Parts: sequence; structure tokens; C-alpha cells
Amino acid sequence: MAKDPSRHIPPHPRREPQYPGAITAERLGEIFRDCVDYTTRPVALGGGTGEELTLCYLGGVVRMERVSDYLLRPLARDGSLVGLAPAQQMARMERGALYNLDVARRDSLDQVVNDLVAGWCVLLFPGECTALSCFVGTEEKRSVSAPDNETVLKGARDGFVESVRTNTSIVRRHLKTADLRIREQVVGRQSETQVDILYIEGLTNPHLVEQLAAQLRDIDIDGVFSTGAIEEYIVPAAHTPFPLVQYTQRSDKFCAGLAQGRVGLFIDGIPLGYLAPAVLGNFLQAPQDKASSWMLATVLTVLRYFCMLTTLILPALYVAMVTFHQEMIPTRLALSIIAAKENVPFRSGFEVIVLLLAFEILQEAGLRLPQSIGQTVSIIGGLVVGSAAVEAKIVSPAVLIVVAIAGIAGYTMPSQEFSGALRIWRFLLVLLSIWAGLFGVILGAAVLIIHLAGLESFGVPYLTPFAVGTGLHAREHVFLRRPMPQIKFRPSALKPRNRRKQR
Amino acid sequence: MKKCLLCLLVLCLPLTGCRYAGVLPYGREIEDMELIRTLGVDEAPAGVVITASGGDQEETRVVEGEADTISAAVLALQGGGDSYLYFGHVTQLLVGEGLAAQGVGPTLDYALRDVEMRLETTLYLVRGRAGAAIQEAAEEGSATERLEALAADAGLTAASMPRTAKDVLADLDRQGASFLPAVTGDGGLSAAGYGILKGDALAGWAQGDAALGVNLIFGKVDADVITVTAGDTTAALRVVGAKTDVRPRWDGGRLSGLDVTCRVEANIAEGAPMPHEATLAALTRALEKLEEGRMEQALALAASLDADYLALRPAAALAAPWRKSVLLGEQGLAGLELTARAEVTIQRSYHADG
Repeated sequence: MAKDPSRHIPPHPRREPQYPGAITAERLGEIFRDCVDYTTRPVALGGGTGEELTLCYLGGVVRMERVSDYLLRPLARDGSLVGLAPAQQMARMERGALYNLDVARRDSLDQVVNDLVAGWCVLLFPGECTALSCFVGTEEKRSVSAPDNETVLKGARDGFVESVRTNTSIVRRHLKTADLRIREQVVGRQSETQVDILYIEGLTNPHLVEQLAAQLRDIDIDGVFSTGAIEEYIVPAAHTPFPLVQYTQRSDKFCAGLAQGRVGLFIDGIPLGYLAPAVLGNFLQAPQDKASSWMLATVLTVLRYFCMLTTLILPALYVAMVTFHQEMIPTRLALSIIAAKENVPFRSGFEVIVLLLAFEILQEAGLRLPQSIGQTVSIIGGLVVGSAAVEAKIVSPAVLIVVAIAGIAGYTMPSQEFSGALRIWRFLLVLLSIWAGLFGVILGAAVLIIHLAGLESFGVPYLTPFAVGTGLHAREHVFLRRPMPQIKFRPSALKPRNRRKQR
Repeated sequence: MKKCLLCLLVLCLPLTGCRYAGVLPYGREIEDMELIRTLGVDEAPAGVVITASGGDQEETRVVEGEADTISAAVLALQGGGDSYLYFGHVTQLLVGEGLAAQGVGPTLDYALRDVEMRLETTLYLVRGRAGAAIQEAAEEGSATERLEALAADAGLTAASMPRTAKDVLADLDRQGASFLPAVTGDGGLSAAGYGILKGDALAGWAQGDAALGVNLIFGKVDADVITVTAGDTTAALRVVGAKTDVRPRWDGGRLSGLDVTCRVEANIAEGAPMPHEATLAALTRALEKLEEGRMEQALALAASLDADYLALRPAAALAAPWRKSVLLGEQGLAGLELTARAEVTIQRSYHADG
């Protein structure tokens, strides 16, 4: 058996401080050697008559107009700075001699380096062991627009963008309470990514916030370049394909989650908001449910649960019935299936597995290609190849219909991650049904339920409110979306500090 | 490590062959099967002869097998072709007259015990040989389709009533008698009243008015049309509902008879608008007399054969549950006076004038 190579590689603890030494232009030059964007510029105070300071910045991450207007202009024009001791000059600039909004004194090289990377410029004073950092970063970012991957029929169209600060401002616009708390942590040795935790004080369970914050603190990775870099560290994702945190690009959905007593998470560079905890029912609710009539929403919710079962067990049920339990099929349907399978050389189980694989391949190919070509691939794969395979008696039409129904039913899931987990389990159930018919399907379903019952998202049982932990009462309706005036309480499973949500 | 080993062990389960030890079901592809839909059982010198009718939607195939028992005959059938004959879709089980006279017990026992057969299978008694009837029907279509049509029209024609193996088994167990719908032995498989079983053997036939009386007592009249004449008025009455009530009659502590009362609902199907009260009363009386006559014939058969095939005693026990032990204590009807009474209500006319 192959040994885990990570056991033989010694740990590499983070150095503290990461960059030792004094804050000098030479030391910074050494740190940023071979960096073409690193720039230093000597600046003489009083328009060239006074002492000389050193301005350092990284080109491209700072906005040049701001450097000129907020730093160089006051330094050149303010004659009162000339002749003062460097410590006094620094103190005056810190108090207001510079026009910049964010001015901070830095006394460690680590801070200075981080500032430079984050779009600050640094003023070095001769003979001083501290430096002044001024924020002059660019704010180049995508403008707020409607979410790309979540259709909005009735609701806010200000979807989240890559900038974490823009996202927090969007949330502030929706949730104007001063109790909204936004805590920030930096994750990633190399990426130094800002990760913001959002919650409403006095409402959200503080233990939940602390738990999430502690898990973020424990993350010691190179960088946060994908969603998994955070997701897989804060939930036990290694043990399950089912999503344990919910993500959305919709601001209204995110804010509704916060108001419900859940904790939000923003990662800089990722245009999504995360909500935790997330249980099974959350992944079967669409944001439109709250915007539609409660009766329509209820019917659609029931339909989604039905589709979940359909996509999960229909192929397995088909294999079990045509291979083991033919008495379960209505006689006329059985005769139709026999007629359809005439001269098809493959066994039913094999046919279903192959078609499910083909379905996954088509889906993957459609996703990887540009949209216009992707649609063509789907049409060619689904219609042309499918009908040709049926005509050539390679697959039976019944299997094609079963796989297509299961696939389409899977598309009704509001969450792609949840749908993906169902697809994996669908394969397992089909394999079990090939082995033992309905007994296998029931065995697989039992294992699935046991697996789901064992999952928790931040201490909340995943099957809430179908099954809840000790001491909790499952009073929430899952299928029935009651009229809004009747929904008086927040979910008890979240243990909010204030359960009542309306009079 | 332990989990990996456990997973490996689970994955190795299919290799153990435990499927064949009866733990798991045996898989068989549906396309390798021939679905048998109608099964006929007749007596034969060797024991029984089985006639199975199946096939697809276009062609009917009939096979025959003979052996000393039904199970052995079915096994003999299996060896006759390349397809596996599957009996899980048998919806009609036809019993030949000769075999029924000997007893339908073994046939019902087979339906009860066999893993593929269902208790919901409809039973028919064939006036003649079941195998011949199935063969003849196959030449013009299939016995299955013919019998399905017969069952679907049972309420409309009021001439036959489908009975399942479960019904008959329950009747025989409860009151020691039952009845089966009878069909003619030709390829037409038309309704021919009922065969009355006593014990498990054929004891007699209920035909014509007696069969209609059976239907009436069981309330299986959805649209029976009867022409009655009262004075100068002749009207076609459509019987649309019947509900029967059985009451025991006591002589001291002894059961002396059973009164069968049937409330019949009818409408005027053809003729004049709703007639005057006097004419209506005359029509009602005429229909009552007719329906009473039918019921009396059915009851007379029960009395003469001493077979409670109409389940009169259990019905009476429901009406007087405190005397249940007496009512269900004996299975026969000998010595009991059976009376029939019909209470007819003519509700409306279908004429446009009301």
C-alpha cells in the first residue's frame, strides 16, 4: 500500500516575522528584487528645498493620480514641513499634512510589505525605524450586475462581485441595521486573501460565529484561489459529496440568510456569498419561493422533492424492476419494454450505466465549451446520437427515456453542488440495483439516509427539520411554505438569540 | 485502514455467490421472458393439463404442458421454448368444468403458493375445457383481451362479476361455498352465469335470472336495462344501483330464516317523460316483482345446494353481531327460510322534459 508522502515531509511553520530587519529602502529593495513593478522615488520636501524622503510603491496596484494629488502635492507645497526633525515631520503628516484618508504608521517590515502589496505607498524617513503608509490603491473592479448563474425573476439584481468591500457595501444597503457585524481575517500565506464574516449581533448564535472564525484562523494554506480553498476547510467536506455551506450570488438571498440567524462569509476575489450552516432543506429552496404565492411555492417545493427522488432512484428502480422484479411493472408497460428491448445486445444495467456516463460526459463537454458550441454539443449528443443509438438498437428507448427523465429532474435542483452529490449517489444506487435489485436500492437508500443523518453543518443536523438533534423541536414546515405573516419564528436549529422574527 | 478493509469486504460481497443461496433475488432480463397472461387448467389422464397464453402486443402464443400436478406441468412448459415463461403477469386463471367438478382446491393452492402467481388473478369457470377455449380465442385475438373486456363490461351488462383467487379462497374458508363467473367454452368466451362451488368442487350453475339475482344481491349493477310493463305503459328502466341488507329471523333462540332486502335505484331510460304518480307506482311495483323473482332464484339455488355461496350468514352476522356465534356457527342454509324483497326507487327520467 502506498504510504502517505505528507508524513515524510517535515512541517513548514510560518516564520514570525516573515521579513526580519529594519524598515529601510535597501531592505525593501532586497525583498522586492527582480520585481519590475516595485518603484522607489526620492521626494524632497518644500518643492525641492527641504529634506529628502523615499516614496515606495508597486506600480499597477496604486493609482498614480492619488499619489500625485494626495502625497506629492502636499509634500512639495507645504513649506512648514521643511526643517523639522523626521519624527516631527512624520507626526504632522499623520495628523493631517497629507490629504490622504488612510494614513498609518508602521513599525514592522511585515506590515510595510503587506501594505505595498495591498495598494498602499510607503514613505520612508531618513534615520527613522518606522514608516508612514498611505492607501492609494486602484479600485478597478467589475461593476455590480445581475447574477449570472441564478435567474432573478422577482427580486434584487445586485449580484455580488469579486471585491469583498463592494459586497459588504451591497449587504449594508440591504441590511441597514447597525448591528450588522463584519469581521475580517486574512487567509493564505501567498494570496493574503481577505475573508469577511458577517452576522447580525443580538440575533445570530455567537457560538456559531466563533466556530467559523476559529476554523478560518486554523487555515494555513498558500492561497485562496477557488471556493474549495475555504469551503473544504470549514466543513467536513472530505467525508461527503453533499454541500454543507450554501453559496449564492444573490444579495437578497444572502441578506435573508443573515436575518434568519445564519453567518455569512465573503472571500475577496470570489463573487459569491456563503451562508452557514446549511441543511438539506436549504438546497431545495429557491429564492423565488419567497416572491411567489405561498401555494405556488409549496407546490414547487413538493415538486422539487419529487424530482430529487426521481433523479436519485429512477434509473436504479428501472434496473431493479426489469431485471429482478418484473411483476412490479404494469403488464402493458412490461410488454412495451420487451418490444423496445428486442434485439438490443446489452443488459439493462449496463445500458443504464453507459447512458448515465454518456449523460455526464455530454454535460461536462457542454460546460467546458463556449456557450454557443456547448449547446450544439448538447443537441448533437442528446438528439442525434441518442436517436441514432436507438435506431441502431444499441440502446433501448425505455432506458434513454429513464436516463433523460432522471437527468432533467436533476436540473430542477436549485443547488448545483447538491445536484452533483445526487448524481454520484445515483450511480451507486444503480450499481447496487444491478447486484441485488430492490434490496440493493433499499440498502443504498438506507446507507444514504444514515450518511445524511450523520452529517452536521456547524453543529446543525443536516436532515433538519426531518430529523433533529436532542433537545431541538422540529416545528418548521419543509414542504409547506406558509404565508409570510404566519412565519413568526426563526429556525430553532440555528439557535438564534432572538427567535421571534415578527410581531 | 479498517474502513478500507470494510469497503473491500463489502465490494467482495457479489463474489460470494450468496445470491444463489436464496439471500438475494435472481436476476433475469425482461426481454428474455415471455409474459404469460392467461392460464387454463383442465383435468387430464396424467393429472392436469396447463394451457398458457402469452405473447406480445401483436401475436398471441399458446403453449400446453401436462403432468400430474400443476407445478410439474408448469415446469414442463418451461422446457418447451427458449424464453422463460413468466407467470407474474397472469391476470386470468381459467378452470375447466371437469377439473372444477373434481375440485378447484389444488388450483387455488397453486395460485396461493407460487412465487410468481398473484392472489389478485381473476378466476373463470369454463363450460367445457379451458385449454380449448384459450386455443380458440387465440385464433381470433387472445383470451386475455376477451376476458378483460368481459370484466370491464361486467357492471354494464350485469351478466357477470369478476372474482379473484383471493375472494374465492376467503369465501371457501369462511362459509365453505363460493361462486365463479362462468364463460362459454367456445372462442367467444361469453358470460354464462356463475358456477357454484361447495367445498371446493363445482356443485351447480346459476344462469339467467339466477345469475342476475346474484349480481343484484352483490350490488353489481351499474347500468342494467330492464323493460317492464304496467297496464298500458311500457318503459325501459335502467337499474343504476343496488344495496342489499340481510337480516336474520329468529324463532326464540333459533335461527329460522334470513330476509334479504335489496334497495334498487332505477331511472327511466326510454319512453315518455316522468309519468304520473300512479303509473310510476305501477312501474315500481313491476320492477320490484321482477327483481324479487331474480333474487328468489339465486336464493333457491343456495337453499337447494345447501351452499351459502352468497355469503348470507356472514352478512347477517354483520347486522346482528351479538348473535355472531350462532350465525357463523353453521355453514349451510338447510332448514332456513330465505325471503327476498326488493324496494325500488325510480328517481328520474332521462327525457328532456324531466
